[in-house]
Amino acid sequence: MTIKIYTTPTCVYCKMAKEYFKNHNLQYEEYDVTQDKSKLDEMVAKSHQMGVPVIDIDGTIMVGFDRDYIEQAVNSAGAK
Amino acid sequence: MYDLIIIGGGPGGVAAGVYADRKKLKTLLITDEFGGQSKVSDEVQNWIGVKSISGFDLSKALEEHLRAQKEIEISDNDLVSGIAKIDGGFEVSTQKGKKYQTKTVLIVSGSHHKKLGVTGEDKFNGRGVAYCSTCDAPLFGGKEVAVAGGGNSALEAVVDLLPYATKVYLLVRSDKLKGDPVTQDKIKNSGKAQIMFNSEVQEVSGDQFVSGVKYLDKASNSVKELPVGGVFVEVGSAPNSDFIKGMVDLNEYGYIVTDPKNQRTSTPGIWAAGDVTDLPFRQNNISAGDSVKALLDLYNYLNGR
Repeated sequence: MTIKIYTTPTCVYCKMAKEYFKNHNLQYEEYDVTQDKSKLDEMVAKSHQMGVPVIDIDGTIMVGFDRDYIEQAVNSAGAK
Repeated sequence: MYDLIIIGGGPGGVAAGVYADRKKLKTLLITDEFGGQSKVSDEVQNWIGVKSISGFDLSKALEEHLRAQKEIEISDNDLVSGIAKIDGGFEVSTQKGKKYQTKTVLIVSGSHHKKLGVTGEDKFNGRGVAYCSTCDAPLFGGKEVAVAGGGNSALEAVVDLLPYATKVYLLVRSDKLKGDPVTQDKIKNSGKAQIMFNSEVQEVSGDQFVSGVKYLDKASNSVKELPVGGVFVEVGSAPNSDFIKGMVDLNEYGYIVTDPKNQRTSTPGIWAAGDVTDLPFRQNNISAGDSVKALLDLYNYLNGR
């Protein structure tokens, strides 16, 4: 399972999502979209919007931090 | 049956929880997250006892303080959807289908961002329309951006955008700014912001993303358009009181009417405090204080005093 999170340094819900991953021992890759224009473009292309965080769990794209959605996506990714 | 259900996890809910534990009340606190609306603030400088703390750290400190109370049960990923009167108290139901019985209720559910209510706002939500400048300002680098509003949160949104946007238009509906003079000066001295009074947003336009905002210039009574890549909405707040409609008296804006002496609502057994009430000032410290006041009064009520 691969988890990617697109963030900005000031975004609180990004921090909450990252804490959630850490607390659940889930590895993730983080992209700060204010530092990397290509990742910003990638994030917009994937999510068709420009709010952060965007989380990509094995291709399941979610905007914002919602523990229930993350849990579902992690479970279904783990079940594959 | 609980002695008390606290609805909300902001400073008010946590303050009540700490006091409820000291009074050994059988208590459940229901919230979807901790910290209240300050959570997204870069810096809070007026939480008494702490010179400066980020909104995120404040929310974590509040959560830790509550979790240190051994007697308090916490449901932290749910929201209350309704309250009904039952024999000897109330039944509180939640969005996830849970039902809890309690003798008393304290509502500290706070308030939320108001929307503009104009064409295009929902369509472009996240596609240029934004409600959290702290979160999203860095994504508007190199763009011209509009901010709608005239109070403190609108001024702070402009300040958040100044390092990134090439130009910020502040569209103010009335003929003056209501926010703090210190922040007003910061904006006026930036050279990048243009304050436009008597300007009422009417439509957010674009194709896939925002490319413009239409507004009524009330001075000339004509509709004009600005070519912007983003619209930040900061037009005040509205109470989170939908779930309590019909159970307690609300004022014309939906805020819960309370007795400022003890935070009682119109319904015996239900108290309310903080931003969801009809108080004139919306502050973390006031929410905490009013909530403690409510807790002490409801403790007396439970003890027949």
